[in-house]
Amino acid sequence: MHDRYDSVILHFAARAFMVPLIVVFGIYVLLHGESSPGGGFQAGAIVAAAFVLARLTLGNRHGGRSLPMWLLTVLACAGLGIYMFGGILPLLLGGNFLDYGVIPVEWYNQFAGEPKTSRAAGIFIIEWGVFLGVASVLVILYDHLTDAESDD
Amino acid sequence: MKRVTLLFLIGLAALLVWASSDLPDRADPLAPANRHLSPELTELTEQEVEIPNMVSAVLADFRGYDTLGETFVIFTAGLAVLLVLQRSRRTPDDEEEAGDA
Repeated sequence: MHDRYDSVILHFAARAFMVPLIVVFGIYVLLHGESSPGGGFQAGAIVAAAFVLARLTLGNRHGGRSLPMWLLTVLACAGLGIYMFGGILPLLLGGNFLDYGVIPVEWYNQFAGEPKTSRAAGIFIIEWGVFLGVASVLVILYDHLTDAESDD
Repeated sequence: MKRVTLLFLIGLAALLVWASSDLPDRADPLAPANRHLSPELTELTEQEVEIPNMVSAVLADFRGYDTLGETFVIFTAGLAVLLVLQRSRRTPDDEEEAGDA
């Protein structure tokens, strides 16, 4: 639907500053989800906003080149898969479904500056799943509702 | 008719404002909403999860099933949009052939 907007200022501001800044901030929100306000849902929405901005400025066809539809679909499925992995991993280790208390973290704490508890590790895993799912689904929604060329 | 609606809405607003004067103060630890589960969740977050963000602990640990369901909902929304709006690369001829086969 959207064609490329030929404005040097717009392209420079969006591609040189806004998109990288928003993506880095989204990852920060994701990684700080345990210790400050943030988490998978918020980080997913922020990172999706960066990719939607790229599509708005460059047009759907050029802006979507770095993140094509097949990759978005794979990432959405991978997000749900990571969440289910975080739930099934404790099941395999002898606990209940989504009961992170049995996840081994000793190997990580040996070289980590800040030791993590098992439950914090489990929360970290599923935050990544939520992040990937939310971010890719939001971009999928934008791409399809604005009638993007899908190249799968 | 519009005046009746306006009068009704003003009366409703007055009722709600009057009722809100009876609500407990914000962040009152003795409010009924803060006496039932909150102390337990606070203690459990400190003792077992040991992360500073209590919201994340509740969202991802105590209510992990709930968040799993939310992720499924979002994923299903994306899947539905993909299925409904995905452009088919088949030409009408292909579809006829597929229908015959």
